[in-house]
This record gives sequence, C-alpha cells and structure tokens, in this order.
Amino acid sequence: MTSIVRNQWYVAAYGREIGREVFGRTICGESILFWRREDGSVTAMSDRCVHRRFPLSEKPSHLVGDTVVCGYHGFTYDADGKCVAVPGQTRVPRTARLKSYPVVEQDSFVWVFIGDDDRSDSVPVPRAPWLDAEGYTTVSGMEPLAARASLLVDNLMDLSHETYLHGGYIGTPEVANTPITTEVDEDAQVVYVSRHMDDADCPPFYATSTGIQGRIVRWQDIEFHPPCLYLLHSRVAPVGVLPHEDGSDPDGFHVEVVYAITPETEHSTHDFWAVARDFALEDEGVSDFLRESNRTVVLQDVVALDALERVLAGEPDGYQELSINIDTGGLAARRIIAAQAAAGAEQVPESPAVLSTR
Amino acid sequence: MRTVPEGPTVTPTRVLGGDRVTRVAWLPGSDRLLGECSCGARAEGGDPIGMWQWLLAHPDHPAQVAEPDAGAAAVHVPPPHRVVRPEQAAGPRTPLR
Repeated sequence: MTSIVRNQWYVAAYGREIGREVFGRTICGESILFWRREDGSVTAMSDRCVHRRFPLSEKPSHLVGDTVVCGYHGFTYDADGKCVAVPGQTRVPRTARLKSYPVVEQDSFVWVFIGDDDRSDSVPVPRAPWLDAEGYTTVSGMEPLAARASLLVDNLMDLSHETYLHGGYIGTPEVANTPITTEVDEDAQVVYVSRHMDDADCPPFYATSTGIQGRIVRWQDIEFHPPCLYLLHSRVAPVGVLPHEDGSDPDGFHVEVVYAITPETEHSTHDFWAVARDFALEDEGVSDFLRESNRTVVLQDVVALDALERVLAGEPDGYQELSINIDTGGLAARRIIAAQAAAGAEQVPESPAVLSTR
Repeated sequence: MRTVPEGPTVTPTRVLGGDRVTRVAWLPGSDRLLGECSCGARAEGGDPIGMWQWLLAHPDHPAQVAEPDAGAAAVHVPPPHRVVRPEQAAGPRTPLR
C-alpha cells in the first residue's frame, strides 16, 4: 500500500517559483506542470503531452498566451489542460486532454490537491498566515530530501533531536531535558506538542536575531496538521518575562517556523521551510542570518534523514523500533497519517492510465 | 495521583478545545506520563506506546496502562542488522593500500 496520503492539499511550490515560464515538479508521485495565466492566476496540469509523453516543463516547450505548446510536436493545451491544437490537421482528438489539478495560492504557497478532484472542496487548505501577513518578516526556502516524508514528520515532531543534531545552532541541553505535553484533537486532526523551558541557554539562532543576552524563557509549541503542514510557534524572552494576563505579549519575541512536508515519491520529499518573525522587521542582517542559520539546520536534517532512508530502504519490514517519552507526539502523528492513508487508498486508481483519461 | 499543573505558569496549559481531545502530560521531574481521555478518564503510565493504547481503547479503558518492560526478558539480545545492499554497508569502500 502506498504511504502517501491522497485526497489532501499539498504545498507544490512558493508562489515566487511560478511565473510565465513552464515549471515542473513531481508531487506525490505525479508529474505536474505549473504556470501562470496572463491574469496572474496559477494553473496546474499533467506534465506529459498526451501524444508521445514529452514533458511539457522541458524546453523547448513554452507558453503562448494562455496556452502551453509541447516542445516536441506542438500539441497545444489551454489553461484547463484541454488540447486546442495539433500539428497538420484541424481535428483535435477528443481524448487529447491533460489531467488538471485544483490549485490554491495562499500564504505565499501554491497548494495542489492530490486525489479525487471533486473532493477538493470538502478538504480545507491548511493555513500558515504569518508567511505573508503584515507585522511579520519571513525568510524561506526548500531543500530536496532523498528520504520518505514520514522521516521528516518524525524528525520535526520530536525536537529533542535539536540538542544533538543542531547543537550550536538551535539546540541546547534544555531542549532534550524538558518534558513535553501532547494533545490530539481527533476531530480536527491536529497534534499539538508543547515544550516550555523556563530557564534555558539562548542558542545562537535566537541570541543573534533578538539581541537577548543571557538565559531565556523558551517555548516550543508544535501544531501539526497531518499529513503535511507543520507549524512551530516559538517564543523566546529573557528569563522571567511571560505574556501578560490578558494574553498580550509585548515583551516576547515570536518566531513562526513553518514546514510543508510534501512527498515527491515514496522515498523522496520536498522540504519547504519558512521562518517568520515579529521583530527586527526591516533588519536585512537579521533576515540574512536567520535564512542562513535555518538552511544550515535543515541541511543537517537532510544529511541525517538521507542516511536513515538508505538504511530503511534495504531493511526487511518488521524491524522493531524503540519509543520513549520524547516520541509521544510523533506516535500520535504517525497514527493519524496511517488512518488518512488508509482512507485515501480506497480511492486510489488502479493504474496511472485511469488518471489520464478521466 | 499527581495532577498536571494548571494556570498561568510556564508549564504548558491546555490548548486544544475540541470535543474529542486526548492529552498526555509528561510529569515534570519524573519519567511518568499522565494520560487524559476526552471522557475524563485518567491514568499514569511509563511509556507512550502503552499510554496511547490505553487512550485509544476509549470508552473501554483498561484498569491500568501497560507498563514498559513488563514481561520482557532480563537480557534481551536483539538480532543483527542485516545489510543486503552494498550502499548500506558501513565504513569506506575504498581500497586500502
């Protein structure tokens, strides 16, 4: 059975990646072509010409107005994926049509629905509003991961690994040593993991960006929307500085760390990351520092998870793992994703051909 | 049974407010977990696997959470990790001269 959860919205790209050029990316094992219409809206369709399967994202394929022209023999498709012209004849075969995909551009991301199109309206697109909200400055990027998406979910749900894998950047001894609280909303399908450190070392990531000298209150509140959107609400402040009774928090520094975990294939993942902050909004030096630091941290994860994938890929099923208290949230996430995958698998077509001839 | 600290402290308070929220708090200063089902049932346990099994048994929660290592052999010898593909082999694969 596939491990990829169908009938879900996934982040396919940042909005800035898609323009008036053809752009291809594999999402959940499906090759998808993205481009912007002349009115600026994004469209998505299968990235294979129905004629001889040439990738429409491959040059010399190109856009002409609101159509895409295959660079091999000139089959031309409109923004809905319908073939409107073929070379040398006036009759366009009725079956000449690309699968199109529901697309939403929101919170700086381009989201695509993978599954049965008619179910897309009933599945909400997860939100990460800080990424393009007033009052926040965001840095972001994407790193390809040669590892299955579940390894990144495990990684992000248990931040005690920061102490060991990311020491000197975001990890300090207190992260691994502080107990977590885990909540699961079964109806909303949200996993929430809190780790509140009331007297912690300030790692360089926060010391340099906030200017705080000395020890800190550090809160990590993970809000995971399985299968693919991870929000880390991070709050740091000097020791003893807490939010006011009314909930306002003028003396805290807030960083919203967002990961969109998009399977590329069963064994590879697009690791979209973004860091939005509510301080030093105009400070380019802080932006550059946070961009480089977070990218470094992401690459440390990439190296580790790629190595783990190589181990797991050749292992027979059934090797026993060991889980301890730090894994409480990760286990909850796995359970929900497994249930989502089982539910989505009921609608998986038997072969790719079924998709292309709908 | 100890209770989970509540109120405006640095200890995480309840966040999710749905009708079917389960909660597992790691009791500070211990290795123990306190599970709380949406029905109000509570229990302590020693590892998350047993705790989730207990919570997911709702509404028929067992009397106790299964404790880790209960019934495990005193000396457990795991099987070797089998390597079947060369790229998974440990160590450099360069000739030694």
